Amino acid sequence: MDQPAASARLVHDVRAVGLGRATSYQGGALTVAGADAQACFADPSLASVSFSWSSPGDPTRIVKVLDAVEPRTAGTGGAGVFPGFLGPAAAHPPRTVHVLRGAAVVVAGFLPRAQEAVVDMSGPAAALSPLGATHNLVVEFEPAPAAPWEDVDVALRRGSLALAVLLADAALDAPPDAEERFAPAPDPDLAGSDLPAVAGLTNLQTQGAFKDVFVGGTSFSGSTPALLDPAALDAGMIVSGQFGHPSLKNPTIVHQNSPVVAALRARHGVDLRFAGLVISPEPVDAAGKERVSAQAAELCAAAGFDAVIVTKEGGGNADGDMALKMDALEDLGIAAVGLFAEMAGPDGTGPPIVVPPERATAMVSTGNYDHRLALPAMERALGGAELALLSVPATEAMELPVAVLYASLSPLGWGRLTCAGDAVAVTSNGEDVG
Amino acid sequence: MSRIVHYLNQFFTGVGGEDAAGMAPVSMPGPVGPGRRLGDLIGPDHEIVATVSCGDDYAAGVDGAIDEVMALVLAAEPDLVVAGPAFTSGRYGLACARLVAAATAAGVPAVAAMHPDNPGLEEAGGAPVVASTDTARGMGTSLPALATAVAAVAEGRTLTAADGRVGAVPRITSLSDRSAADRAVALTLKRLGGDRHATEVPLPRFDKVTPAAPVDDVRQVTVAFVTEGGLVPDANPGSLESARATRWLRYSLEGTDTLEPGQWRSVHGGFSTAWANADPMRILPLDAARQLEREGAIGRVLGEYYVTTGNGTSVGNARRFGIEWAADLHHSEARAAVLTAT
Repeated sequence: MDQPAASARLVHDVRAVGLGRATSYQGGALTVAGADAQACFADPSLASVSFSWSSPGDPTRIVKVLDAVEPRTAGTGGAGVFPGFLGPAAAHPPRTVHVLRGAAVVVAGFLPRAQEAVVDMSGPAAALSPLGATHNLVVEFEPAPAAPWEDVDVALRRGSLALAVLLADAALDAPPDAEERFAPAPDPDLAGSDLPAVAGLTNLQTQGAFKDVFVGGTSFSGSTPALLDPAALDAGMIVSGQFGHPSLKNPTIVHQNSPVVAALRARHGVDLRFAGLVISPEPVDAAGKERVSAQAAELCAAAGFDAVIVTKEGGGNADGDMALKMDALEDLGIAAVGLFAEMAGPDGTGPPIVVPPERATAMVSTGNYDHRLALPAMERALGGAELALLSVPATEAMELPVAVLYASLSPLGWGRLTCAGDAVAVTSNGEDVG
Repeated sequence: MSRIVHYLNQFFTGVGGEDAAGMAPVSMPGPVGPGRRLGDLIGPDHEIVATVSCGDDYAAGVDGAIDEVMALVLAAEPDLVVAGPAFTSGRYGLACARLVAAATAAGVPAVAAMHPDNPGLEEAGGAPVVASTDTARGMGTSLPALATAVAAVAEGRTLTAADGRVGAVPRITSLSDRSAADRAVALTLKRLGGDRHATEVPLPRFDKVTPAAPVDDVRQVTVAFVTEGGLVPDANPGSLESARATRWLRYSLEGTDTLEPGQWRSVHGGFSTAWANADPMRILPLDAARQLEREGAIGRVLGEYYVTTGNGTSVGNARRFGIEWAADLHHSEARAAVLTAT
């Protein structure tokens, strides 16, 4: 394989949004033409789709949130972004991408197996979801009569990716607000360095339709763990079709901006070498979990990693994948650090982790799943008129566990929630969220 | 000046011992008994304005007892509720733990003191409990520790292990100034630096037990009975402890179909043994076992049963008992065991 080259993001900030006659991006203002957006979702399994913007600070609650995608392109029509969906699953996706930062395409509505997921654009929950700080183009939909739900899911995914490219294409000729350049991982310039080689190991939830994650357009279910060039994440190699566990899901937008990759890139050449990324499925059976955990650890050892940050997607059974991988890594002499959401009950006194590692010890807390939060009434609801969980109007004031807040306990490390108190080694200057 | 209401059982308010254990809750003005010393220790910023006291049997056994205690506590308009120290006294610890849980739930800061082995400890839920010694002989060291905790709780601080806190420490969700990913990188660098203890999620260690394969044909198999119910011959010839057991014992069942009251008793200190002693087979169901044996539903009942007391038993001892039982049974003819627990 060729030595990977550096990669770059050309960042265009989105500061204002609207709907209009022509799709355009000018001076930070993103305008979408309804007809252009409609064309992305032309599919026999969809009876209709509609589009609305919701922006940070709006008195809006988005319910039944499915996936969210950050607009990106490498050239007109995408030029290789979202490989496998909008073009061939190229081995070498584009290394320079245009990014519309501050915007997201958000699909919201009913799909089977999807669990109620909430984003508030204002109030205390807004800061807990990555979508609370983005201008969201919310896509609502009506399935065609008798259309299989699996086909509806596919049409929504292709449509949202195409729309994300359409929006980013509008900025191709605009001067970027920022250019972010990243060394390749591994970085040949630091090959002889004494800095420790630190990598990411990302578990992808692979449980079939509506609870699946795609790599290069194909479900990663049944795959063996593999090295993935981190630059491929920037090009949209990983796309989420996983609609369970609202707070514990990793939407496409979070993969595109992988927080662990970002944190490792930020320290690259300073106190560590960002050495690469391994992706692994989360099999549903114990033997499968044990097998891929051993394989992933061996891959990390062969790649020469000194330490690995392990992340998951999903609830308790995914803790098993975490524990097995962390122990397998430590058994091979590789330091393992895992990100865990806690399930400690409403009063926080229950056992926090469903399946803890036995030999690995280093864990980061992304907050308590069962922590309850009072949400204020909103003026407007998108994604549905009712909150499925409580069968109340979606605009009402309500109390919810953070478990329902979209990506709030981000297993990929986006969030700032934690249960780390003052009795633990890693500091957190916490303020009570409740 | 903050107003403190102190809870003590009937013994420590001087009402009486077991003879007064059925006493309904009462409120007394000011500090009483160990409350006087506690009042001195917590200093002039706090005043024990009332002492609420209740009999141990009443507090632990009567439905709604803690509600009655709480009503008396709230009538004294406390800023803070203090309970104990309860040492290893189970009923007293239960009452103290339930009271601080109820006070905390009602929005009144509260703290209790008891030994970490007190069986009532977990009833406190997430309310703070600090360690005391195991018996009242340690009152002299337990009260200053409690007084320090009272001052901390009065300031609104969350008690930690460093304050002598025992029992469940609630995991409080808060916002860090850094993302979880950034903290993961920081933790990775610590871990690479050799720090194996750095973590944000401290965990108890649980054993993983692989169940034995099912018995092929239980009609052919000798079945052993093992129990942590503290059931021994009435004279307790092996001196089995009532709590924090350090040993296990074996007694013969040969030639007997029944365990008569008066000849057997439970020495278990973690529950009222009245019903167990009225019919020892509530702990060890020999009558049912013999009937199954006669019917041929099981092969045979092993000639001896194994017993310890499962009450505040350390994990280390419990593990050792299990290992020893398994090894011993493996050398016997038994190929299945029924564990009765209390």
